[in-house]
Amino acid sequence: MKRSVGQILGKTGIRIPLILWTIAVLYPIFWMFLGSFKSNAEIYRNPWGFPETFNWQNFADAWTNYNIDTSVFNSLIVTVVGAVLTLVLAIPTAYAIERLNFRGSKFLFTLYVSGMMIPMVLGWIPLFFLLMEFNLLDNIFGLAIVYAVSQLPFTIFVLTSFMSTIPKSLEESAAIDGLSPYGVLWKIITPLSMSGIITVTIMNAIQFWNEYFMALIFLQTEENYTLALAIDYISSEAQYTNAWGTLFASLVIAIIPVIILYAIFQRRIAKGMTEGAIKG
Amino acid sequence: MVQSKKQKYMFLAFCLIPTFIMFAIFTLYPLFSGLYYSFFDWSGSAQNKEFIGIDNYIKLIKDAIIPNTIIHDYFLVVTKVIGIMILAMFFAVALTQLKIKEAPFYRIVFFFPNIMSVVVIGILWTFIYNPSMGLVNSGLEFLGLESLAKPWLGSETWALPSLVLPSIWAGIGLFMLMLMGGIANVSKSYYEAAEIDGATEWQQFWKVTLPLVWPQIKISILYIVITTLNGSFIIVQVMTGGGPNNSTHVMGSYLYQQAFVQYNFGYGATIGVMILILSLITVLILQFFMRRDKVEY
Repeated sequence: MKRSVGQILGKTGIRIPLILWTIAVLYPIFWMFLGSFKSNAEIYRNPWGFPETFNWQNFADAWTNYNIDTSVFNSLIVTVVGAVLTLVLAIPTAYAIERLNFRGSKFLFTLYVSGMMIPMVLGWIPLFFLLMEFNLLDNIFGLAIVYAVSQLPFTIFVLTSFMSTIPKSLEESAAIDGLSPYGVLWKIITPLSMSGIITVTIMNAIQFWNEYFMALIFLQTEENYTLALAIDYISSEAQYTNAWGTLFASLVIAIIPVIILYAIFQRRIAKGMTEGAIKG
Repeated sequence: MVQSKKQKYMFLAFCLIPTFIMFAIFTLYPLFSGLYYSFFDWSGSAQNKEFIGIDNYIKLIKDAIIPNTIIHDYFLVVTKVIGIMILAMFFAVALTQLKIKEAPFYRIVFFFPNIMSVVVIGILWTFIYNPSMGLVNSGLEFLGLESLAKPWLGSETWALPSLVLPSIWAGIGLFMLMLMGGIANVSKSYYEAAEIDGATEWQQFWKVTLPLVWPQIKISILYIVITTLNGSFIIVQVMTGGGPNNSTHVMGSYLYQQAFVQYNFGYGATIGVMILILSLITVLILQFFMRRDKVEY
């Protein structure tokens, strides 16, 4: 009896830090949402409380006066093109490394995977001039290509481990039925590794949607800004204009797609990220 | 259908070559030519590219800001490893060992900052540290500790330590999940045996949990070190831009400033080479020290 009382107390005690950390995580996020409904004057007067009225003016301002509409569109293009291109490049290579026995397959795999550990910041300087050469500097499609290649190591890594779980007999019987190797890859392997493909694609998409530094280097004019750059720009402007409400509204616009994806795919994302880190 | 050798090679080439060409152009070539650029004095235009041998490296050694950027990077590495590992371990044990009903809720909440954009995290925390309306100073005032309130990110002493908290805040969830995965794999019978032997919960943690999740701890530490050395400059760039007075510059943000703000591309590449070498050495040393044999009972 004494022990169970102790356990109940222990559990309550343990809950305190858990609850405190929950507040530490959620409060800034809630507060960002609340701030997006406040006028600038109200943010000054009452920065951390509830808004007096919910008005959408900040969103309208961000959307029209600060070109967030263009940035959202750019970010969408970069995210979708980048994610699709990653798959187009990664699926055939992952299949070849995992299933086709060729000399050097281990070496190739190691080469790709070590790309996850190398600090790419050194490569960004030459990449800047390379993109300039290709007329892809300050171009969202150029950025999408750079993003796609940057996520190749991780994507190939996850997809090979997924494909290794597909039974070989399926490919063999399909080949006997007269399916070409291209057919096997497209009609057998791709559908069977769909779960892995979805997981990496969600994670790549979140990565591309959120990315800031490469966009900062490789994009220059405002009409090509992705959302992260536009927000950074509004943030540095707000030092002078005090347009905090607009800033919060744009932060909310940036985070909502991530929240939605997390709400739907929470398990996949968490599992994909931990496994990517553990095996990497 | 029997495939001819030629068809087989065609298919292999189809699978490998386009991807490899892209990888070579956009990853391998830039890394190697970055190494090459580090021997040039170059402001970006083709005419002004002058081979200067190791002059950039001499400049690097003499540059008074460089040692500070290295110290700042390792300061972030050490504080993040300690902060994240202690908190993540505590939360992981709490959520797995003590049967808390709402554990999945905490798991979902704690992980979320891991997928937030660094820009969003950085701007939110810049606000939290805001001298006049920020949460930190308001909180201190509320507790009657006005004397401790300060312009956190504007202070040369406090700006760098202030960057640690957002990094821990954003990183904990992932490592908590990794450790939880490790703890879940520890057989219950060990704890039962330890309990019969009269081990307290604290002893169980030190003698059973910690040695058995050592592989996960090791991977987590390595992962924090690598991601910090390769990416700490992003939060620095968003929150302070290296200021005030270079007091928060890390290697990557200093590279950005040298190369893309002041157009010293050759010198920027030299800093990049330094980052590459330092992070490789650090990882090798860490792997050597953490080579602890797998514990089996």
